[in-house]
Amino acid sequence: MSDGNHPGGTIGEALLARGISRRSLLKYTGYLASILALPPMASRAMADALAKAPRQSVIWLSFQECTGCTESLTRSFNPTLEDMIFDLISLDYHETLMAVSGAAAEEAMQAARAANKGKYVLVVDGSVSTAEGGIYSTNAGKTNLATLKDMASDAAAVLSVGTCAAFGGIPHAKPNPTGAVPVSEIVTDKPVINIPGCPPIPEAIAGTVAYIITFGKLPDLDHLSRPKAFFGDSIHDRCYRRPFYDKGLFAKSFDDEGARNGWCLYEVGCKGPVTYNACATLKWNGGVSFPIQSGHGCLGCSEPDFWDRGGFYKPLSASVMGNPAIIGGAAVAGIVAGAASVALARKRRAEALAAQSKASAAAQEKMP
Amino acid sequence: MSLLDFARGPAIEVALAVFTLGVMWRLISLLGLPWAKDRTVRRAGAPSDFSAGVSGFIRHLWVPKGFGMTSRFALINGYVFHLGLAIIFFGFVQHILFLRGLFGVSWPGLPTSVISIAAVVTLGSLVAALVRRMTSPVMRLISTANDYFTWLITTLPVLTGLLAVSHLGARYETLLAIHILTVAALLIWFPFGKLMHAFLVFLTRAETGVFYGRRGVKI
Amino acid sequence: MSEESPRTGMAQSLLREIARALAALAETGACDAIDLRSLPLTGGDRADLETALGRGEVAATFDASGQSEVWETRHAGVWWVRHLGGDGRVAAETIEITPIPDILAAHPDDIRASAAALMAELAETTEETAHV
Repeated sequence: MSDGNHPGGTIGEALLARGISRRSLLKYTGYLASILALPPMASRAMADALAKAPRQSVIWLSFQECTGCTESLTRSFNPTLEDMIFDLISLDYHETLMAVSGAAAEEAMQAARAANKGKYVLVVDGSVSTAEGGIYSTNAGKTNLATLKDMASDAAAVLSVGTCAAFGGIPHAKPNPTGAVPVSEIVTDKPVINIPGCPPIPEAIAGTVAYIITFGKLPDLDHLSRPKAFFGDSIHDRCYRRPFYDKGLFAKSFDDEGARNGWCLYEVGCKGPVTYNACATLKWNGGVSFPIQSGHGCLGCSEPDFWDRGGFYKPLSASVMGNPAIIGGAAVAGIVAGAASVALARKRRAEALAAQSKASAAAQEKMP
Repeated sequence: MSLLDFARGPAIEVALAVFTLGVMWRLISLLGLPWAKDRTVRRAGAPSDFSAGVSGFIRHLWVPKGFGMTSRFALINGYVFHLGLAIIFFGFVQHILFLRGLFGVSWPGLPTSVISIAAVVTLGSLVAALVRRMTSPVMRLISTANDYFTWLITTLPVLTGLLAVSHLGARYETLLAIHILTVAALLIWFPFGKLMHAFLVFLTRAETGVFYGRRGVKI
Repeated sequence: MSEESPRTGMAQSLLREIARALAALAETGACDAIDLRSLPLTGGDRADLETALGRGEVAATFDASGQSEVWETRHAGVWWVRHLGGDGRVAAETIEITPIPDILAAHPDDIRASAAALMAELAETTEETAHV
């Protein structure tokens, strides 16, 4: 995204102006290399590249969402190494965080857009309502649908942050009254990166943005457009309870002996084996824990339609019956079909017997 | 809808419906057929029909004296994969959870290592059964497409299940979906192909026992 | 933690990896680094590794967007680098096989900026003195 012409100055200059030494930047790239699973020796080159790069303009739009994604990224307890992401980007517009409102906010968005035309990264959290032309979710008299189409046209790339933006999420859950769709269904002519999760891991958001700034290109993505560095392994593959799964030792309820022994949560509905995310390695709340470590199975929140997969507590191997009456109906139909063929066979036999006795009677009459 | 959601949902539901309908239809129509009366005179000292039926079934559980090693091998091999299939189906925790979802009853499972060994042995035994079917001139003569297809439809769930457990060849959700789909295929084929022997074996062997028992012959 | 935490044998294989890298540094001068955070180390493994590597002559702590600790192990050229993030937890941790870790050396850009700043400071002082 770097073009050599930086009206806002480079990241290196900005850090210098704030009295932040290059040690901090090198520390930060060391941290980034680690969470992005890059070789640790890359951190020096990353720091040099970042110092020369302009601060990345970011415009953040919030649609049908709960603000959990923004909370995830911004709620750290004190200024730390992890917060350096905000030195790398220029958050030119954020509907929820900015102080101004009304016409001033609209002007700010258009100003940011004009100043960074074709270069800004558009971050979207929340799904896009499409029913009735998108009127279920509007802002400043404009539907989210129209705003997204408009703002994406001048963006370099779009980042769908959170499961709602990436896959439709909870607004998309059945029966989806607002016609909610993921961003990628609306924006088809720009690269769209999905960083799902409910909310997504803050390191995954920051790490992806930092990767784009550092290397000037998109990271490797999986088939659902998720960065492989964070979504390459399933929760199950990296789960510390995996040895219990392999042995077949499962907790059967949330307070039995197995649960107390920290056995695998498959039986109580853990979706870890089919969920791709970095919770098991990066963890949450500053590396304190993640759901499985806290004793609850994975809900699968970074996967499409996680809300509609037959219940959070239903084991993965159990079937999800739409309507069990279908099986009962099939049994009745089978019995009826069986009875019908029995009746048919008996009728044929009776007819055959009748014809036979009639024939033999006729034959007897003919006898002299 | 992902492949896994399709497999866990509509695919397995439709398969169970077809299975139930087919089994009901075939069993009722078979049992309800008018019987041809056996007009032979019961031999003096012949066992009752019931005991002839039961002993006919029991006697078929082993190879009669005079048969060669090959027949004995084929029979033992048959036991191996039937037992293997039962261990896998009723002993694997994930399968018990599936059954619990359907019937509401569950029981303790076996360690995964035991299931994996059983699956490998079962697979080997199924291959051996196929090799015998294809090499023995008699077996080849009496085998139809039904037999080969039934073999395939029985083997696929074992193979795909083993791959899913060991995470081999594809992502787990894909392997699990394929495994469930192969089971759905088995359920659909079950009532209409040779798999129906799971129900009919008791009837056919008992009926043979009754037929010959009445004539004073133990077969 | 180290008493109850299980061992995976990771510490031993890491020591071998470090020995190989150190031999390469001695021979060709090639630097290397191992990211500890991305490895599935148990608390016990970590303690074993720290004990085995020991502490050498140099140790430094500094504050640059959070606390950092760097120490040379008892093997010259093998450094333990630990950066703390929010709430004092480890944000990045590497074993560096190098004469001196990059993070300790002042960066040329910082040196240039300091040189200019110092010059300016002195110029100001001289001016002030001249006025007296």
